[in-house]
Formats: sequence, structure tokens, C-alpha cells
Amino acid sequence: MDVDEVIIARELRKSFPGKRGPVEAVRGVSMNVGRGEIFGFLGPNGAGKTTTLRMLTTLLPVNAGSATVAGLDVARQPRQVRSRIGYVSQLGGADELATGAENLVLQGRLYGRSRAQARRRADELAALLGLSEFADRRVQTYSGGQRRRLDVALGIVHEPEVLFLDEPSSGLDPQNRANLWDQVRLLRDHGTTLFLTTHYLEEADALCDRLVIIDHGRIVAEGAPRELKRQVAGDAVVLSLRDDDEAAADRGVALLRAEPYVRELTADGGQVRLYVEDGGAALPHLLRLLDNEQVEIRSVNLSEPTLDDVFLRQTGRSLRDAGGENENEVAA
Amino acid sequence: MKTARETGLLFGRYLTQLVRNPVWLVVGFSTPILYLALFAPLLKNLPGAAQLPQGNVLDLFLPGILALLAFLSGMGPGFSTIFELRSGLIERFRVTPASRLAILAGPILATMVMMFVFDAVVVAVGAGFGFRLHVLGLAVLAVLLGMLMIIMAAFSIATALVTKDISSFAAITNGLNLPVLLLAGVLLPISLGPLWMRILAHFNPLYYLVEAARVLAAGVFSSAVVWQAFAVLTPLCAGTLIWATRVIRNAVA
Repeated sequence: MDVDEVIIARELRKSFPGKRGPVEAVRGVSMNVGRGEIFGFLGPNGAGKTTTLRMLTTLLPVNAGSATVAGLDVARQPRQVRSRIGYVSQLGGADELATGAENLVLQGRLYGRSRAQARRRADELAALLGLSEFADRRVQTYSGGQRRRLDVALGIVHEPEVLFLDEPSSGLDPQNRANLWDQVRLLRDHGTTLFLTTHYLEEADALCDRLVIIDHGRIVAEGAPRELKRQVAGDAVVLSLRDDDEAAADRGVALLRAEPYVRELTADGGQVRLYVEDGGAALPHLLRLLDNEQVEIRSVNLSEPTLDDVFLRQTGRSLRDAGGENENEVAA
Repeated sequence: MKTARETGLLFGRYLTQLVRNPVWLVVGFSTPILYLALFAPLLKNLPGAAQLPQGNVLDLFLPGILALLAFLSGMGPGFSTIFELRSGLIERFRVTPASRLAILAGPILATMVMMFVFDAVVVAVGAGFGFRLHVLGLAVLAVLLGMLMIIMAAFSIATALVTKDISSFAAITNGLNLPVLLLAGVLLPISLGPLWMRILAHFNPLYYLVEAARVLAAGVFSSAVVWQAFAVLTPLCAGTLIWATRVIRNAVA
């Protein structure tokens, strides 16, 4: 086994009993995560992110396929895997009636540390994550950002090789989110491998060294954010045509599609999204073309490709609109 | 050793949480006291009181209350489990290398300690009103009460993990509560009832505990109902613990 692959998953599958037969949540997920990477798992709600994460963290039995984490098989050596990984769930997991420090000490001791060691580590983490000021207050008095920092601290009490974070920034305001990103990068710089799920494009783009995009339980793309965006090739142009005249809009779409330099095009009513090598040069031409045929344009938008374009290209849907069918993925 | 240490840690956490949540304490204390204060006096002037055994009415009634307390105490960890699922606490413990049995046993043992504190208060108050103390009998009874509480707690925790939401959990436990309590003769002995009721009661584990509680509280050990209670509760206790540990291991929570 390659020592630099901290997580290896092969054809992982999981289905849950549903009202009309089993529901396949994860349908053959394979991936490799290297040591010291921030690895992202990007997808809409209900795509199977949390389910995959829960299989990798030994919280959920695997139906088929295999996975090793830190060189250990999650199905056959769950206890050994547990001592090497940390996990911060969407819900957190802090005991509200206990203080932050009490939570940290208990967690350390559950990982086998002595009381003195656990206390020392709790102080250290409180200082590292800026919790010292309120470490002796009950968790129920914490703000969202403070609580999230405690959640992260609970996940790294035992200095795990891999830290799994499930939607770490959901519910955080921009300032706390930036703060969290800094902490994640700091952990990576200290050699921890980070595996995080997210449905925020910006987060995946800004934070992750590498990522996979998952949809309906399958991986649809994999790579560094920059590589993935390069695959989309060129710039995205979004044209909003007047759709009260359907015939004109259809004529416009047909015209655009016929242009040799238009690489890909998706149209939804009057909304046309297309990709060209050089947006700046193509735009005047496109506008003239439509104007000549009396197709009216409401607005034009030119952008460099985003991860949403990658998602759109792979699935035919925008990540911003996708999901929502299974909001309650936590329960799965 | 490892399991014992982890059980101790989780026992401490749960007990601390119980003590810090005064609402539970107030409810826990008031239930048995209310039964003693507001129900026991009715028994004294019951027209059929002649059918009841001789002696202080508390000698008959108080053991039933102890059994009731064991039954209800066991439900507590189930309710907590629902909230701990919501707050991610169960997952946080499950992802550590801690023994799955310890995750179950910590809260159960903490609840048991609380129950024995309540029991002691009930017995002390009862003694003040004429309940005759048979210390040895009560000691044996404590073992049976502990077993019933474990059965109920393991059952309620596992049910909470399987149902995952408060409404289904409450529906199941409430649906079970009343028939089990009524068919056990907690408040009045089943022997007062018709034959079909007496037969049906034999399928109810709580019935055996209540019967044994009455004789043990009177200081009698030789009665058949004592070993019958052990014979029924011991395997049930092992069975529910195994089931609940398995649920925690695989919890689809």
C-alpha cells in the first residue's frame, strides 16, 4: 500500500430501506486521498456525502466495496481506525450542560489519555482555537462560532491523522467561516489530512487542495479545483433572452448553437448558458448575431468558469438548484 | 478493564448532567412522593380492604411504588438518547474507540444511582408513616429493581436509537407503559383481579418483580415468587443489553 494514500475507497455502496424498495444513497464511490491534503467532497444535499463520510468513519456499516483509512480496513478494524481519526459532525456533539473544558477533558480521556494529560491538552487546544476565555462556561451559553470552534477542538483532541468535517461551515457567518478556514489550513500545515464535505462552491474552491464532485451517489468529477475548472475550457457566457416571444428565443438558441466556436450550450427557457474559449472576443460577435436576427437580449453575463460550471457540465443541473430532495441527509 | 474505565467516564458525565438538570430531579422525586401522599390514603378506607393482607397499608403499597420507580427510571435514558442524537453527542462517542457497551452502561448505571437515591427517600418517608423495614429483604429487592431498571433502560435506549425521533419513541413507550403497569399490580395486587387477568399477568415481566417486591419487603425469602422473579429478569436483562449494544454498534442514527 502506498503510505501517502491516507484514505482509499473502492466501489463503496450503501442503500437504505425506503418506502418503495431500497434507496441507493452511495453507488460505487472510489477515491484516494493523499497525506496532508485538504480533500473536499462537493455535492448538493442528498448526494450521498454524509453517508460516505459516515462509512469512512466507521459509523455506518458498508454494504459493498471497501475502504481503508490510515492503512486500516474500516469494516474489519473499526476500533483501530477510530483511534486514528477525528470527526466533527454537522451537529457538533458538545454536551450543552457541561463546560467547554469538561467536554475536552472527557473526550481526551475517552481516547485513553490520563486525567493530567487530558487537562493539559484541553488547555492547549483552548489556547490554539481561542476558547480560553469561555472554556469554563457551559456550552449552552456559546455563540455559533464559539461552538463550532469547540467542535473542531473535540475532533482533534487526540491529534488524529485524518480529520473528517461534515459541512463544517454551515450556519456560520462569513467572519467565522474565514476563521474556520484558517484553522483548517493550519491543521493541514501541521500534517493532518482533512476530509470535508460541503455544498458551498466557494468553500470547495478556496479551501480544498483536491476535491471530488458527487451527485446521486456517484462521483462525477475529480481533481484540483483549478484543473476541474480548466476542463470546462474557456469562459461562460450567460445570455438572458426575451422569452415572451418563444419563437424568437428558439431562433436565437439555434443560431448560437450553430456557431463553431460555441463549445457547449444549455438553454432553459430564455436563459442560455454557453462556453467559449475567449469570452471577451466572442461577446461582440454573439451580440451582433442575435441583433441581426431581431432576437432581443435582456442581459448578458460573462464569467470565468466556476465549480458550478463543472457541476453543470457533468450533471446538466446547477449545484445551486440541485438537491433538496433529501434535505434530511443527517438522518440517513 | 478498558470497558470499566470508559463506563466510569461516561457514568460521571451522565450523572453530572442529571444533577445539573433540576427539572428531572424534581419530577423524579415528586412522582413516588405523590403516589404515597395522594394514593396510599385511599387504600385505608377501601370497602374491600378486608381482602387485602393485614397490617399497615404501606407494607402492601410501598414495594409496588419501588417497582414503578424502577420501571419509569429506565425510560429516562431513552428520552435523553433522543436529545443526544439531535445534538450529535451519540455520534461523538461512537466515533471514539470507547467500548460500545460502555456507551450504553455509563448512562444506565448513573440512572441507577439516582433511582436508589429516590428509593432511599421513599423508604425513609414510608418508614416514618409505619412501613416496617426488613433490611435484608430490601437489599435483595434492590438487586431485582436494578435488573428491571437495566432492562427498561437498555430497551428505551435501543428504541430511541432505532426510532430516532421523539414522537415515535413517545408513542411506543407510552403505548407500552399503561398495559404493563396495570397488568403488574403495581398499585393493587393482581390477586384481586379475575382469573383471565391473573393469567395474562404471567406474561408481564414487571408482574414477577412486583410480586417478589411485596414478599421481600416483608422479609420473606423462601417464597417461590422470589426465585421466579430472578429466573424471569436475569435472561431478559442479558437479552436487552445484547440487543442494545448491537444497536449502538450499527446505529443507523
